[in-house]
Order: sequence, then structure tokens, then C-alpha cells
Amino acid sequence: MRLSDIMGAANLSVYAELAMILFLAAFVVIMIAIFAPGRKHTYDAASRMPLDDEHPQTPR
Amino acid sequence: MNARLDSFSYDDDIVRKFLWATMIWGLVGFLIGLIIAIQLPWPGFNLAPYLTFGRLRPLHTNAVIFAFAGNAFFTGAYYSTQRLLKARMWSDALSRFHFWGWQAIIVAAAVTLPLGLTQSKEYAELEWPIDIAIAVVWVAFAVNYFVTLTKRRERHIYVAIWFYIASIITVALLHIFNNLSVPAGAFKSYSLYAGVQDAFMQWWYGHNAVAFFLTTPFLGLMYYFMPKAADRPVFSYRLSILHFWSLVFLYIWAGPHHLHYTALPDWASTLGMLFSVMLWMPSWGGMVNGLLTLRGAWHKVTEDPILKFFVVAVTAYGMSTFEGPMLSIKSVNALAHYTDWIIAHVHTGALGWNGFLTFGMIYWLAPRLFQTELYSKNLVNLHFWLATFGILLYVVAIYSAGATQGLMWRAFDETGRLQYPDFVETVIRLIPMYWVRVVGGTLYITGATIGCYNLFKTWAKRPATYEVPVVQAAPLSAKDTDEHAPAVAGGLLARFTHMGWHRKWEGMPLFFSVMTAVAVIIASLFEIIPTFLIKSNVPTIASVKPYTPLELAGRNIYQREGCFNCHSQMIRPLTYETERYGDYSKPGESVYEHPFLWGSRRIGPDLAREGGKFPDLWHVRHMYNPREVTQKSIMPAYPHLQSNTIDFGSIQKLVDAMAMIGVPYGDAVNKAPAMAKAQAEQLAAAIEAAGGPKGLADKEIVALTAYLQRPGRDLKNAGTQ
Ligand code: HEC
Repeated sequence: MRLSDIMGAANLSVYAELAMILFLAAFVVIMIAIFAPGRKHTYDAASRMPLDDEHPQTPR
Repeated sequence: MNARLDSFSYDDDIVRKFLWATMIWGLVGFLIGLIIAIQLPWPGFNLAPYLTFGRLRPLHTNAVIFAFAGNAFFTGAYYSTQRLLKARMWSDALSRFHFWGWQAIIVAAAVTLPLGLTQSKEYAELEWPIDIAIAVVWVAFAVNYFVTLTKRRERHIYVAIWFYIASIITVALLHIFNNLSVPAGAFKSYSLYAGVQDAFMQWWYGHNAVAFFLTTPFLGLMYYFMPKAADRPVFSYRLSILHFWSLVFLYIWAGPHHLHYTALPDWASTLGMLFSVMLWMPSWGGMVNGLLTLRGAWHKVTEDPILKFFVVAVTAYGMSTFEGPMLSIKSVNALAHYTDWIIAHVHTGALGWNGFLTFGMIYWLAPRLFQTELYSKNLVNLHFWLATFGILLYVVAIYSAGATQGLMWRAFDETGRLQYPDFVETVIRLIPMYWVRVVGGTLYITGATIGCYNLFKTWAKRPATYEVPVVQAAPLSAKDTDEHAPAVAGGLLARFTHMGWHRKWEGMPLFFSVMTAVAVIIASLFEIIPTFLIKSNVPTIASVKPYTPLELAGRNIYQREGCFNCHSQMIRPLTYETERYGDYSKPGESVYEHPFLWGSRRIGPDLAREGGKFPDLWHVRHMYNPREVTQKSIMPAYPHLQSNTIDFGSIQKLVDAMAMIGVPYGDAVNKAPAMAKAQAEQLAAAIEAAGGPKGLADKEIVALTAYLQRPGRDLKNAGTQ
């Protein structure tokens, strides 16, 4: 019996759809997490990183 | 608090090296593009066997993608990474190895591609020894990069670096899997996969090469250099994070849209279409994010040519990421696929997005790296306008060429017959537009040349020794705390939405990279495994047999000459295609096609049913000079095929390699040269008897003719059995 027979019997194409749904779910979760209120301060600080990279820094 | 500050300096020398490499290879790549653009309307410009369209086209794509855009990515990445991490690259030696290794690979490509040494997979043409070199250099780069990450002095990893990390990991994966092959000599190999599987692997690679070589690295550059040049932070940092994750999650699934209406299973191409359409949203999010970074700075755009370059770059990104999803919709794709439309789409992205972002970045970097004023701002402006008009001319002409040809292919007259049954009619119509493209390309190159001159003059004004500023920054404290984050009250959900976990990931580059890699790998596996292993996806056809040794040698010539750059071998199940070419292509037909040669652009007609269509002598004459047979043909002439001799001895190696990857060669495993000779003599005698040239029995044209008489034959035989 070849590998392809075994895999063929496993009917894997269902998994492609399953994986797609999982991916979408993970994506939505990340999206909610990013846009949840209350982290603005941190993001503002991070977004300035390219601008204040020329000077000595304090520990962070 | 800052009792203990580390003192160090950044390695800008490596950035200067990559900057020059970018500009020089850019010019070379554009020039080769111009040459092949001239070869289409003027086939006489195929000056020598080494310089024909089929061999130069891969050189052009490789040069602009891997040499120009690649070096541009490295330039920006080495500059911004060190600064964003507050750390010098871990190993100067590895940085140098990366630089020289990469340039050596480019030189190797520039030598081997005109010689016709190719794997014939788009953007993965380079043969196996060079592939191994690429892997080694890339790993050196990655090691240097990741160790630098662990030595950083900033807790938070800025979003640009996420884009770089994803690119570095994914490109490694793509490169390795798509290039798995069995060598059949020092510079010849056959893809491990065949037919549908090979096509799937190739476009999983090809699409993601666009994503992770031309998109994500450049988005990283955008998120660093746009704020720099505009002197304000990115419009929304959250949007940029969202942009990142959506690209990582969605892009990897979209590859099959390159294979609509082919012998690919339906579910796979529908999946590809869905994900491509979903990509539109985050891409536009990214574009808006880039443009709004200039909020309140629009007055600067009118004065600062660097910002102008960036604005056009981001706009071009928006245009091509809008068009991409549109093209992946099956009905639009049916019209656009195989035509110049795709070429126009690509060049909006390449000339506009990659080119302009690179130029903007380089003009921003030059005064800082060479530590002097830019030689001339007026010349930058001139470069900008020349290149902008160049792009406009190029894309307008080539979009119309694409639409024109696509519509002509599908036009039926009142009697229900094809309106333009003669393929060459649909080609001649494009010639004026091809000349407009030549003008557009010339403008673009003139701009780039002026850019090089400007940079050279700037460099000439550099100080005798570069100042190397000492930077001070505190090392990261061992404990993984987040001082900026306000304390979070509440339960699990609140903690979750406050993204403690995400902050942690970001703080742990290794873990973060692993997560990215896992996401990419899982998506790829689920997409690819079914096509590879489910038998029902590729129903076998009993009458499909392996190529004879002589045909295999002919197929090698077909690959060497890059005929697949102009000819597809994949007839889609659409009336106007089956009407023109014959029965549509089935997956089972290509089970021995290592690699697949379906092609992606029809500058000439499809050849999937070429076998038996014309007499042998027709091919001999046509290959010698296509214009003797088809008056207005734009196909290059291949007279050297009538004088080059077949290396019969080497055919055994080809057959053995094929047999090794599972092609049932039977007898031929032992006596391939003898079988090839016998078939060649027979064919040459037939050609001579028909009034053709004498003494072709050991000439390459015979092998090629044998091969050209094969496609589609097996199916016809099935009908008669
Ligand atoms: C620049 C693009 C280009 C390249 C490269 C090219 N061709 Fe062509 N080919 C054409 C065009 C255009 C036609 C249609 C006009 C004609 O018949 O010459 C054509 C026609 C053909 C035909 C006749 C097809 C038919 O059914 O009418 C064959 C066979 C062919 N080419 C084989 C080859 C082979 C083999 C190579 C590589 C050695 C090759 N071509 C390279 C453009 C190209």
C-alpha cells in the first residue's frame, strides 16, 4: 500500500476547509485583541520608535 | 536609572555596499527588460542564441526581483534594524558574507541563464548548485539577524521588523520546497514533483515570492522610512499590526489563483480566489495607513521629492493590491490570464511600488550614509517625473494590449466561428503598444540613470573618513516587564483583550518567529497536502506514457531556449480555447511532466495539442526562421538548432534521473542513447524524404521536432484504442 492510498482514504480535503476556518478564527481573535480599547498609550509609544532612534535611550 | 549604558556604533558600511548593489543591479535589470521589450515588436533584435527572448526574460525577472528589490530590502533592513533594535548587527563577518554571497549568486545567474541552464520554473529558474548557494547565504543572513534580535536593547520590536522576520522565514521555506529536485548533471535537474503537483508547488512559491519578497519586506521599509521622511509616526500603529497578521494569515493561501481553469482541482482554485479577495481589505488598510502618515504634511510633499516617491509607491501598492484580488476572480481571470494584462499588473507593482519605494529610500539614505548634502535635488525631481511618465506609458499601453488580445482570443463571428482563428493576427495588433512600452521603459531607465549619476556625485563629495557616531543605550533588563502598560484590572477576558500575550510574543523574537513560521507552514500544508496525496485529484490516463529518450532531449532544448516564456501548454475548458486549440488539458496528462511546462503567458499559441498538427518539416523550417512560415511572426529564429549536435551520451543521465523520481522508463534505463539515435535517424530520414535538409540525424532540431510532435498525442491515442 502506498502512502497516497492511505492519505487518499483519509479524505483530507475536509481539513483544508477546517484549517481555513481555524485561520479565520485566529485572525478575528487577533483583530479584536488589537482594537480593544485601553492600549493606546503603548501603541503611541511604539509608533514613535523610528523617530527617536537617533538618541541615547533610557532602559525600557 | 541609566547607570549602565552600553556604547556601540552601527554598521553603516554594509548599508552603503547594499545601496550601490541595488542601484547597479537595478540598472542592469531594467536594461535587460528594455532589450526584451524591443525583441517583441522587432524579433530581429534576438541577436545571438544566448540573447534570445526566452533566455533573457528569466534573467530580467531574476535581476529585478532578487538583485534590485533584494538588495534594496537588505539596504533598508540593515539600516533600520540596527537602529530599531539599538544594536549593531551581531556579526560583521556574516553581514559581509551575506553581501558578497548574494552578489556572487547574482553573477552566477547572469552567466547561467543566458547559457540556457534553467529549471524552467518562473522566478526559480536557477539550477540546483546556485539554489544551494542561495540557501546557505540566506541562512547566514537569518542567523545574523536572529542573534542580533536577541542582543537588542529595545524591549518592543517595531512592526517593520515583524515584516522582515516573516519575510526571512517564509522565503527560506518557499525556496527550499519549490526547488526540491533530482540532479541530472552539474547544471541540470528535474523537479521532484510532476504536473499538477509541480504547478501547485510552483505557484504557491511564485505567489508567495511576490508576497514575501516584494510585499512584506517593502512594507517593513515603508513603516520605517515613511515616518522618517515625513517626520511623524505612522498614522495608526494598530492598523499596521493588523496589516501584518492579515498578510501572514491570508497571503499564503492565495497562490492557486494563478491556476484558474487549469487542471487544478476546483476547490483549490476557489479557495485561492476567496483568500485573494479577502486580501484586498488589509492591503488597502496598509495603503491608507501609509498615506495618512502624511496627514498634516502634504505641503511637504510638494517640496520634497522623496515624499513624492513614497506617495506614488504607496498608491501603486494600493492599485496593484486592488487589482490582484480582482484578477483572481475566475471570470476576470479568464479574460486576463495568459495576456499582457498580467504583465501590466506586475509592473504597476514592480515599477511603482518596489521601484519608487526603493528610490525614495535611497535618496533619503544617501546624505546620511555619505554624510554630505545630496548633490542635486533638481535631479531627484527630474528622476521622479521621468519615471512617473515612464510607468504611465508602460501600464496604459500594456493594459490595452492585454485587454485587446484577451478580447480577440474570445471573439466569435456571427457564424459561431472564431473571429481571429489565426493566432498571429492577435499578436500583430499589439505591436504599436509594444513600441509605446519601449518608450515608457526608456523614460524609466533614463530616470534611474540620472539617479545613479546623482548618487555618484553625492558620494564624490563624501568626507575623507566617515564619522562613526557612538550610540548609547541601556541593555535590556532581565525581567520581562512592560513599563508602559497600565496595570490591568479585571478577569481573564480583560487581560486577554489587553493583549498581555501578544506583548509577550513581541518581546520574544524567537517565539514570535516560530509562531509566524507555524502559521505559514500550517496554511501551506493544508493547502498542498491534499493535492499531493489524494489520488482522486489526479485521475490517471492509461494511454499517457513517458517521453521517449529523444523527446526528453528535445524537451530539454525547449526548456533551455525558454520556449515556455512565450508558449503555454494548458488549454482551459472554455469554448473559445477548445475551439482554437482542441480538447482541454486534463490533470492526468501531465503525470510525467517534471517540471510542468504549462507556462503563464501566451505570446505565441498554446502547444498542448501541437503533436501531429504540422508535418515534421514544417517545424524544421519554422524553427529555422519562423517568418518564412508565418509571415508576421514575432518568434525568435533558432537556426543554431540545425547545426548544434545532440549529445547522445548525456541522454542516459536524463533518463536515469527521471526514472529515479518514479517515471516508469522500463528498457530505456539501460539503452537510452541507442533508442534516441534510432528514433533520430528515422525522423531525419523522413524529413529528408519530404524535401527537407539532409544530415539532421544528430542535430538538435530533430530532438526538438520529436518533442513538439508529442504534446496531445497520448490523448488522441486513447481515443483510437
Ligand atoms: C517571443 C516569443 C516566442 C518564443 C520565445 C518562442 N515562440 Fe514559438 N511562437 C511565437 C509566436 C508569436 C508564434 C505564432 C506565429 C508563428 O507561427 O510563428 C509561435 C508559433 C510557434 C509554433 C507554431 C504553433 C502553432 O500551432 O501554430 C511552434 C511549434 C512554436 N512556436 C514552437 C516554439 C519553440 C519550440 C520555441 C523555443 C525554441 C518557441 N516557439 C519560442 C512566439 C514565440
